[in-house]
This record gives sequence, structure tokens and C-alpha cells, in this order.
Amino acid sequence: MNDDLLNILSNSNKDIDNQLLMDYLSGKLSAEKNHEVEKMMADNDLFNDAMEGLQQIRNKKDIQTYVEQLNRDLQKNLTKKRQRREKRKLKEGPWGYVAAIVIIMLCIASYYVVKKVLAAHGYPSGK
Amino acid sequence: MPVNRDPNNHITDQELLDRFYADGNKEWLGILLSRYTLLLLGVCMKYLKQEEEAKDCVQQIFVKIITELPKYKVTYFKSWIYTIARNHCLMKLRDQHGRKVELSENMLADWDDVSGKSRHLEKDRLLELMGESLGELGEDQKRCILLFYLEKRSYQEIVDITGYTLMQVKSYIQNGKRNLKLLIERKTSKT
Repeated sequence: MNDDLLNILSNSNKDIDNQLLMDYLSGKLSAEKNHEVEKMMADNDLFNDAMEGLQQIRNKKDIQTYVEQLNRDLQKNLTKKRQRREKRKLKEGPWGYVAAIVIIMLCIASYYVVKKVLAAHGYPSGK
Repeated sequence: MPVNRDPNNHITDQELLDRFYADGNKEWLGILLSRYTLLLLGVCMKYLKQEEEAKDCVQQIFVKIITELPKYKVTYFKSWIYTIARNHCLMKLRDQHGRKVELSENMLADWDDVSGKSRHLEKDRLLELMGESLGELGEDQKRCILLFYLEKRSYQEIVDITGYTLMQVKSYIQNGKRNLKLLIERKTSKT
């Protein structure tokens, strides 16, 4: 019995070669390479489902546009999250406390200024 | 259709995952996930059938992964991402149609389980069992399995040789593989 048959028991865990998959979808590969992709499909449910789904996209040229668009959105999403985290870090830093103290001091100062102005115009102090 | 080359393709998926777990830098995650965009789009298309809906679904899956991944120590990223993607699609279908969608019959764990059980067997014994089990398969499945795994023929070549349709060839290979797995499992549990 040929050892190749033991490949039936294998589970593909190869890293993805997106170019190979795209070339397969466009029918550009040799029979040997086609077999390579199809073996990945037979050995891995993710590949199989993905290739079956991609084959349903009518215009194969759209696939690349969709992927680029999704990757751009992904990067945007990750950058936004990073910026939000950095902003939070900044808030949590000493500047946050300094700003809070300054605001409190300004409030106290304004309170006394308003009080003095009111007293100068003869308004009762509230006591 | 040239795909943009990944300048980090010298880093394996596993290394990217390890780096992300080590320093929590989401840049690693960005590189890793963008390698899977094409496959995720395909999986979403397979279940949802609509291109726009599939694109939206991929974005939702990305968000889910970015949120969930730091919570667990994922070892088999490819299997994990597939489970997340498929479950998300099935959930979406359930929400849309209010009907129960049967989970895929070929659960990921199945095959790992059998390969695990048969791993302890001697190679010769495994080949012997494989030979016996092949003989017990239906003629169509056996023929397609042998052409595919032994002669390394592509699906199209098998279509040309056998006269079956492409769908039949794929189905004979998938079902044949599953049946072989069950037969070997049965035989190994007896011994």
C-alpha cells in the first residue's frame, strides 16, 4: 500500500498563500498546483468553505477590491482602538490630576471674585 | 489578479500570535488577521450568499476576534477563527430566517480525534487498516479517493477521467474521507 494514502489522515495546517488561492480561483494554475490547493481544501474545512464561498462571487476581480477595503477598515479599527487607549493613558497620567487641580482652583477663585463683586454692589452675601 | 505582498511573510502565524500575547501590540493582530481576510470573506459568502452582507459579516467577525482573542490563550488559530466565523454566520442566518440551522456535520474535532487515536498505531498497521477500509468504501468514493490522494489528480482531471460532475467528485472525496475515518476508528477501537 502506498504511503501517500496516509495523507488521507492528515489535517492541513499550512499557512495561507493568498496568491495561490486567487490564482486557483482565476483558473491560472497547473493541474499539479490545482491539486495542491484542492488537497488543502479536502484536508481543512476552513479552506474548503472559503473556496466554495469565493467561487460564488460573480466577478472575481471584485474579490481583491473587497479584501483591500476590509483590510483598510481593519487597520482603521485597530488604530482607532490604539488612539483611544493612548488618550485614556494620557488622561490617567499626571496631566489629568494637574488639570483637575487647576479647574478646582479656578472655581474657588471665581467664587470669591463673584462674592466680592456682589458685595461691592450691595447685594447680601447670602448669610 | 496579483495580491498585495505581505512584507511580514517571513513571520509565521504562530509567531505573530505569540508576539501579540507577549506584548499586547495589536499591530501583530492586524498583520495576522489581514492574512485571513480572503478566507473569511469566502466563508461568509458560502453561508450568506450576498456579497455586501458577507463583507459586513467579515467586519463583525474582526471586531469579535479583536475583543475575544486577548481573553483566551488560543493555540490553533486557524481552527479557532474558523469556528468563530462559522458560528457568527450561522447565528446571522438564524436571526434572519428564524430557523434552526443545523451545525456543520464535519465538526473540526472529529478528524483530529481520529488522527489522535490512530497516531499510536504502527505505520504498517495503519496502512493495513487503510487498505481494508478502502475496500469497504463504495466504488465511486474509492475511485475518487485513489485518484485524488494516490495519483494526485486535480478535481477537474478526476471529472474528465470518471465522467462525474465536479460536485460529485468533491462530495465523493469528502464523504469517502469521512467514511474511511469512521471505518478506521471502528477498527482501532476493536483492537
